[in-house]
Amino acid sequence: MAGPGPERLVRIALHCYPERWRNRHGEEAAELARLLIRDGTPARSIAWSYVKGAARTRLVPQPHRRLGAAVGALVAVACSLGVSLALLSSSAPANAITGPCSGGARGAGTASRGPAPDGYPYYVRSGTARSSASIPIRVAPKKPANSNAKDRRDQHC
Amino acid sequence: MAPREAERDGAGGQDVLRRAGDASVLILTSLAGGAKHGYALIKDVKGFAGVELGPGTLYGALDRLEGLGLIEALPAEDRRHPYRITPAGVTALRVHLDAIERVRVAGRLRLGLEGI
Repeated sequence: MAGPGPERLVRIALHCYPERWRNRHGEEAAELARLLIRDGTPARSIAWSYVKGAARTRLVPQPHRRLGAAVGALVAVACSLGVSLALLSSSAPANAITGPCSGGARGAGTASRGPAPDGYPYYVRSGTARSSASIPIRVAPKKPANSNAKDRRDQHC
Repeated sequence: MAPREAERDGAGGQDVLRRAGDASVLILTSLAGGAKHGYALIKDVKGFAGVELGPGTLYGALDRLEGLGLIEALPAEDRRHPYRITPAGVTALRVHLDAIERVRVAGRLRLGLEGI
């Protein structure tokens, strides 16, 4: 009969299994280990076998976990598609041309499309123009008074 | 895979044990000779195959086979659960052994060992 040491080692290894597994097989597995130790099998090799088995049990996805993962993946794909479509539908062509620095406050002033009363298209008034070859051309906008903060942001961009 | 699917696949001649691992085949072969609990399974497999199954490997294979509906647990006897092979398990084992037999014959034929 093995002493408490080897059995304790096996008990520790069995605690690596999920609780559901331990409820189902725990007592039986401990009894099997006790019989194998009695036959002369080293407790360390039994414990190691249980540790490996526990790792496999935790790594192999269960059917209900697999279903949950599939649902989660579908939700993630749907969310990312929705966000992409929302961004595409809400972004103006000027924003796409001038990049992230052109959005927000500066774009807010150029919400209306089409030529302005002064004859320039809306994207020229927003600070950039596009040539016929689709190359962005910077056009210096009119500087309103007291707009130092905005200038700093433009220079930074 | 659900037990019913395993039964259907086994009945249809598909080798459901092909990817189940050697331990699963050894356990099913042992249980084909009668219901056994874990300790008796380990001893029996060592006796007919010379393979010493680790207890962790044993329980992993038992869970997998039970999930496939190829074996079932019987009521516990003194903290030990005996397991027995199901009809679907018998069919799956037969199909797998037939597949192995075809490979064995082809291999021996190509090595020039057949008929000696």
